[in-house]
Amino acid sequence: MNSETSTDSIAAWQLFTLAGLVGATITVFVSRGQSTAGIIFLSFTIFTAAIVGVATWRTFVPFTGWDDQGRRQVFGGRTRAALEREKTLVLRSIKDLEFDRAMGKVSLNDFDQMSTRLRTRAARLIRDLDAGAGYRNEIEKEIARRIGREFQGQVVSAGSAIAETLPFCSQCGQRHGLEDRFCKHCGANIQERRE
Amino acid sequence: MSFLGSYLLLAAFVTCAYAIAASVAGARRRSQRLIESGIGAFYLIAAIMSVASSVIVYAFVVGDYSIKYVQRYSDSVQPLFYKITSYWGGLDGSIMFWVFLLSLFGSAAVYVNRERHRELIPYVVVVISAVQMFFLFLMIIHNNPFETYLTESPTDGAGLNPLLQNFYMAIHPPTMYIGFVGLTIPYAFGMAALITGYLDDSWVRAVRRWTMISWLFLSVGLALGMVWAYEELGWGGYWGWDPVENAGLLPWFTATAFLHSVRVQEQRGMLRVWNVTLVILTFFLTIFGTFMTRSGVVQSVHAFGEDPELARMFIIFMAVILTVSFGFVLYRLPLLRARNELDSWVSREAAFLANNWILLFSAFFVLFATMFPTLSEAVTGERLTVGPPFFNRWMLPIGLTLLLLTGVGPLLAWRKSTIRNLRDQFLFPVSAAVVTASVLAALGMRVWVSGLCFALCAFVVGTISQEFWRGARVRQRATGTDVFTALIGLTSRNRRRYGGYIVHVGIVLIFLGFAGAGFKQDEQVLLRPGQQAQVSDFVVRLDAVRVTDDGQKQMITAHTTVFRDGEELARMYPARWFFRKHEDEPTTEVAIRRTFGEDVYLVLAAFDLEEQSASMEIVVNPLVNWVWLGFGVLALGTGIALLPEAAFAFAMARMPANAVTTSLLLLSLLVWPAAVIAQSGQTVPTVNRGALERQLEGEILCTCGCRRPLNDCGMFSCQGRATQTAKLKGFLAEGQDHEAVIASFVRDFGSESVLAAPVDRGFNRLAWLFPYLVAAAALIGIVTTTRRWTRQVPPAPAGEAGLDPALSARLDDELRNLD
Repeated sequence: MNSETSTDSIAAWQLFTLAGLVGATITVFVSRGQSTAGIIFLSFTIFTAAIVGVATWRTFVPFTGWDDQGRRQVFGGRTRAALEREKTLVLRSIKDLEFDRAMGKVSLNDFDQMSTRLRTRAARLIRDLDAGAGYRNEIEKEIARRIGREFQGQVVSAGSAIAETLPFCSQCGQRHGLEDRFCKHCGANIQERRE
Repeated sequence: MSFLGSYLLLAAFVTCAYAIAASVAGARRRSQRLIESGIGAFYLIAAIMSVASSVIVYAFVVGDYSIKYVQRYSDSVQPLFYKITSYWGGLDGSIMFWVFLLSLFGSAAVYVNRERHRELIPYVVVVISAVQMFFLFLMIIHNNPFETYLTESPTDGAGLNPLLQNFYMAIHPPTMYIGFVGLTIPYAFGMAALITGYLDDSWVRAVRRWTMISWLFLSVGLALGMVWAYEELGWGGYWGWDPVENAGLLPWFTATAFLHSVRVQEQRGMLRVWNVTLVILTFFLTIFGTFMTRSGVVQSVHAFGEDPELARMFIIFMAVILTVSFGFVLYRLPLLRARNELDSWVSREAAFLANNWILLFSAFFVLFATMFPTLSEAVTGERLTVGPPFFNRWMLPIGLTLLLLTGVGPLLAWRKSTIRNLRDQFLFPVSAAVVTASVLAALGMRVWVSGLCFALCAFVVGTISQEFWRGARVRQRATGTDVFTALIGLTSRNRRRYGGYIVHVGIVLIFLGFAGAGFKQDEQVLLRPGQQAQVSDFVVRLDAVRVTDDGQKQMITAHTTVFRDGEELARMYPARWFFRKHEDEPTTEVAIRRTFGEDVYLVLAAFDLEEQSASMEIVVNPLVNWVWLGFGVLALGTGIALLPEAAFAFAMARMPANAVTTSLLLLSLLVWPAAVIAQSGQTVPTVNRGALERQLEGEILCTCGCRRPLNDCGMFSCQGRATQTAKLKGFLAEGQDHEAVIASFVRDFGSESVLAAPVDRGFNRLAWLFPYLVAAAALIGIVTTTRRWTRQVPPAPAGEAGLDPALSARLDDELRNLD
């Protein structure tokens, strides 16, 4: 179904573009006696009408349920990309801060405080990324394959290793993040207990 | 054709309603399908508006004069380019163009952010669709651009206003509109964050780039407007504090404030409520600006005209915006409480606060002064005018303070600067300023304000070069490359910071241009062929007055030659163009010889073809081109700052901005001195005007209806100006002083509305006093709030103890790999 839907969606998109192009071409032949500029804008209007077609299709297709699966997969990839971006941003901020320190603008004490805040955030993002999928494992597998060694299945994902070190919720016993304020599973206030 | 257009607008309106309904239902019921469908409908609005736009442009191109809008704003002889730009030449079309741009911009913003900010997107769609719905509603019931003539339609159109048939005017409105509609995006994200309660920094990150792009377009739009005023209106200046100009400036101030204060939120997690408020205010001001120019509330040369019904609808819409937005801010106040702490008054945070105070005060002041005539009419029944003298007097100290802060901010550290830090950082910039000031004083600079401005410019340039130099040295030590490579690496690594500094360089250049205005010279002279007049070092000789015609217009051109020190510099051709069907409003075609030192600016004020005489206005404008160059540098800096987020935004933002600079630079080069020809002719003295007369010309209004000071009226052979000038000369000849002349004019006219700025008396004292009061109140507010912040005990640092060592090591690894 998945491969079919992706073919379908491309076909719909292509169909409308093609219809637009054909419509525009027919207009050029039919509308004789008009100025060149007039014909160009008329064809352009026809082509934009095709875009309306695509957008209408895009409005109603979610209800048909055709592309649910495909979309969800795309989501996963996209969310990961977004997290990666955010991580890069935070890492850049840390770099910036180090740079300010090197230029003598920030005192050591302030540097430490701000740096800690940013590093904690970066660590959280790294953890989120690791927790996402067996992504890291896949990379390790790929590396192993490329360098010709047989993958032994012994590479433990760093993500799961980190997950091991996370604290437990005193209420329900599930693990939670270092920075979490509430437990993701039972909703207990972790911070209050921590203090 | 018109039927199709009206139908499309209706369809867009219905689709907006559907997008709102589907998104709200989807978000509340957590139905991905409904949300996706809402997004689809949102794209559909853009698609429908594209069709509607191409329909109306097609109607313009083929000349479908049965449509009223097409008939009013184009005619058959108009060049194709201006036929297309007529789309946004009138009120109805400009509203439609607004919706079209908003739908495109909105779709792009939703498309880019739909995964990263999934939780916000449904409400972003809702907010933008609601704004679009309002404008579509206006069009459908009140200003339908597709409205047709009921009985017989005219065979030809009335033609676009000749003043608008200018290249800069064709691209200025779209640039401004992009800036305006772009500012809806941050508002939509801000509101979505308020509605959903996801009030962390993620919405700020989502909108930063969009705000920057909009800000860039707004800046470039303002610059294009200035260039247009300078080249087309023919009064030798570029900014007249007209309500319509001010409408564009208001959101520019608040958007600039937001771009600065958002740094504080990102870096320190402070000012959350303030940032949301700024976003709301900025959006509100864009709508308010649209309201001002389209409802006839303010009188302006380029407002669209009076329309009480439209004004009423806008007022309702604005009231809804303010109530809903600030209602949500109040509702979410508990979530917006940030860990505000100010360690020291000598810190970058404090500098940012001061910057916000000045920028917001500027916005408030401009808003107040623009609305003062309306206010005074409501209170005293007399409509006064608040013109350039009032604005210039106020904005001068504000502008200089802002320039000073531009230089101070980057030198301060976050949190706290120690005395040693300060000495180390300020030494070079302050020396640069002092040296500049001393050199200028030694050279005998007369205008002290300009001198101060030059010194401050030197201070800011000192700051920025020190930042670049020290940064490059640090990077050089870290990477081991040469300074030049380090400099490039530095900029490309910290594009936002160094892009920002380059924007500041642009601001300095703009201020240089402003300071040059202090040395402006303008003279009026009546010349016959062979006669010449001297202004400053330049001698202008009239060679002939000729008439030509190109079918669309009749052109009266004065052929002149400009000399300096007996050498010919250029031949210049100031002209008046009389467009068909608009013969009573000829356009001024100014002749300008551009150099970086100064512009020689010739205006053909009046002419007599039988006598071959020309009444010329000769203006020497020092340093004016630095203003345009400054805007070019500003655009370049913004382009660099935009880069890290996405390369395409940079490409999009750079194109129009650099096109402007390049064209201006090319123009400056093209008019470089040409061949040397001997100078000959009889020198005629210029019209003798004393300093007091010149001052009063700026303070007394022309009575032709332009509502501009006497020295500003750009109308051809203006009777109002001629009468007023004669009267002024008469009063001065009687030996009256400044006060007496003003009193005489008020007496003769019957009210104070003949003055360009209200007299400091009675209710009008409010105009002079109120801004002081507000600035002081705001300052007290800031000081009290920040004192509260400084008193708070900062929480103990969390320490890195909680961080897993393995994770920490990996982080270090990644940081190393980043460079």
